Amino acid sequence: MTILLDVITTAAILFVVAAGLLAIFGVLKIINFAHGAWLTVGGYCAVATTGMGLNPWLALPVAFVVGSALGGITEVLVVRPLYRRPLDAILATWGLGIVVGQLITLWFGRDVQFTPNLLSGTINVFGLDYSFYRLFMVLAALVVGLGFAVLLEGTRLGLSARAVIMNETLARALGIDTAKVRLTTFMIGTGLTALAGVLLTPLTSVDPDMGLAWLIGAFMLVMVAGSSFGALAVACLVFGGAQTLVSTFVSPVLGGITVAVLCALVLRISPKGFARA
Amino acid sequence: MDRTTRKLLFAMAGGLLATAAWAEDPIKIGIPVGLSGANSVVAPSVVQSAELAVEEINAAGGVLGRKLQLEIADDASGAAGAQKAFDSLVFQKEVNAIITMETSAARNAGLPIVAKGEVPFIYTSFYEGRSCSPDLYVNGWVPEQQVPPVVDYFVKKEGAKKFFLVGSDYAFGRGMLEFARTYLEKAGAQVVGEEYLPIEGTDWTAIISKLKSSGADALITSTAGGAPNVTLTKQLRGAGIKLPYGNLAVDEGTAKSMGPDAAGIYIAASYVTSIDSPANKKFLEAMQKKFSGELRTPNDLSVPQYEGIYLYKAAVEKAGSTDASAVLSALGEVSVAGPRGTVSMNKQHHAPLTMYLGQVQEDGSVKVVETFPDVDPGTQCPNL
Repeated sequence: MTILLDVITTAAILFVVAAGLLAIFGVLKIINFAHGAWLTVGGYCAVATTGMGLNPWLALPVAFVVGSALGGITEVLVVRPLYRRPLDAILATWGLGIVVGQLITLWFGRDVQFTPNLLSGTINVFGLDYSFYRLFMVLAALVVGLGFAVLLEGTRLGLSARAVIMNETLARALGIDTAKVRLTTFMIGTGLTALAGVLLTPLTSVDPDMGLAWLIGAFMLVMVAGSSFGALAVACLVFGGAQTLVSTFVSPVLGGITVAVLCALVLRISPKGFARA
Repeated sequence: MDRTTRKLLFAMAGGLLATAAWAEDPIKIGIPVGLSGANSVVAPSVVQSAELAVEEINAAGGVLGRKLQLEIADDASGAAGAQKAFDSLVFQKEVNAIITMETSAARNAGLPIVAKGEVPFIYTSFYEGRSCSPDLYVNGWVPEQQVPPVVDYFVKKEGAKKFFLVGSDYAFGRGMLEFARTYLEKAGAQVVGEEYLPIEGTDWTAIISKLKSSGADALITSTAGGAPNVTLTKQLRGAGIKLPYGNLAVDEGTAKSMGPDAAGIYIAASYVTSIDSPANKKFLEAMQKKFSGELRTPNDLSVPQYEGIYLYKAAVEKAGSTDASAVLSALGEVSVAGPRGTVSMNKQHHAPLTMYLGQVQEDGSVKVVETFPDVDPGTQCPNL
C-alpha cells in the first residue's frame, strides 16, 4: 500500500517537474537545457518571498510571473535565432543555465537556503499515515495536467499551438502568428517550471544546483513522451514506478539511475517513445 | 637547497635594509575548502574562524617573527576540485601548510599531492577515521568518539533496541554507519535496516517507507553535510517520522537554519556554542566583534579550524622553523588551549576530545544533554 502511494506521488513529482520542459519541447521542438536553472529560479523565488515575510503560498504566483518574464526575455534574445538549429539551441540553453546558476550564486551565495514548508505533517489514507505534502503533489500534477489539456483543447492559443505542432509552415500560411505562439508557449513553459521549483522546496534543499538533479530525469521523460501530456503522465507513472520499486527492493543507489536507463532503453527499441502509444 | 639559499639571502637583505616590519616572507597557510557543493553551507564559517586565528596571531607578533597569510581555494566539495585546489596551493602558491576542513573524498584526493609537495596537512574536520599518513594530523572527532554517546543515550535513556541507519553513499556516510553497526551489535541492539543514497540524490521516498515498515525505534543518519542532510530531514518530517533521531552529520549552524524541522534531533559534537568556559566566551566575543552581521555561527567544523592554526603555530615554534619534517614531528607533541578545551593530536596523529551530546530545541539552539570528557579516538593509525 505504501509502495502504491510512493509510486503515485513520485510520478506526480516527476510530472510537475517535467511539464514545463514538455510544453516547450512539444510546440517549439527545442530542448530547453536551462530547465534546471528555471527550477532553481523558482526555488529562490520561494526563498525571496518568504524572506520578505510573505505567505509561502504567494511564492507560487510570484515564481510563475518571474519565470515567464525571464523566459520571455530568453526566448527573444537567445532562443529565437536558433529554432532552425536545434543542436545549437541545446548548447545555448545549457550555457544559459550555467549563467543563471552563477547569477543566483552571486546574489544569494552558494550555500543552502531554507524555506518554510507549504504543508506539514501526515494524513491518514487507507489506515496509513502518509506525507500530506506528497499527496498534495498529486493534486498539483492533476491541476497542471488538466490545465494544459484545457489550454490546448479549449482555447484559441491551444488551437494555434496545435496547428504549429502539426505543420508550422501551413499554420503560418493560414495567418497564424507563429512567433507569438512560440513566445507565449516558451513563457508558459518557463513560468510553469519556476512554479515547479517552488513546489519542490518542501522536498529538497534550495541551493544554486538544486535544479540540476532533476534535469536529466525530466529530459529523458520528455524524450519518451514526445509532445503529448498524456504520454508524459504514462511515462512518469511507469518510470517513476520503476524507480520506486528498484529503490525499495534492490537499492536506492540504483533507483537514482532507473529513470535515465529505462528511458534510454525504451528510446533504443522504439524511437518514438510513448508518443504513439 | 635553492629555496633555502634564496630565503637566507632574502632574510639577510631584509635585515640589512631593515625597512619592513616583517623580515621574511609570510608563512602561507593553504585552505582548500568546499566553497561550492555539499560543504558550501559550512565552508564560510570555517574561513571566518581561520581569518580570526590569523588576525590574532599576527597582532601578537606572528610566528617566529613571520606573519601568517591565508591562501583560500575552492575544492568544490569533491575529489576533482580538491586535486586542482591542492595542486595550485602546494605547487603554485607554495604554501607552508594545509589546514582545512573538507569532505573525505577531497581529503583523499589531496593526500598524495601533499605527500609529493612535502607539506604538513592538519585536517580539521570530523570524519570516518583511519586516514593515516605521515603528513596528516587530525584534530576533529572520529566515529569511536562520536557514535557511542548517541547510541548509549538511545539504548539507556530511550530504551531503543531496533535501529535504522541511513546515509549518503560515500566514505564518511558508510564509515560512520559501519562503525555504528558494530557498536550497536556489541551493545546488544539490533540493526533493522541500513540504506544509502548517492550524495547528489534527492529522493528519499523508498528509504523512508522502508524505515516506517521496519519497526525501528530509533534512527541514526550520516549524510553529507548541507543539501542531503536538509533534504532527508525535510522528507522525514514530511512523512511524520517522530522516532528518536540521531544525526551524525548535522552541525549547530545548519540545525539552526533548518528551523522547526530540526527540533528534537540529537547531535554529538566536540564543540557546541553553549560550552561554558572563558576560552569559548572569549572566542565567541572575538568572532562577534570581527564579523558582527556577517558572522556564521561557529560550529564543530569551524572551531577545530581555529584551533588547527594555533596548533600549527605551536608546532612551528617548537620546531624553530617551518621545515616540514620538523613541524610534522612537533605536531604530535604540542597542545593548545582553545574553545573546545586543551587539544593535543598525540594519539596516532589523532586527538582525544571532550564530546557533548546535545538536542536541538524548537528555537534552533542546542541543549547539552550529557558531557563525555576526554574520549579517546581509539586505534586509528597503529603504524604511525
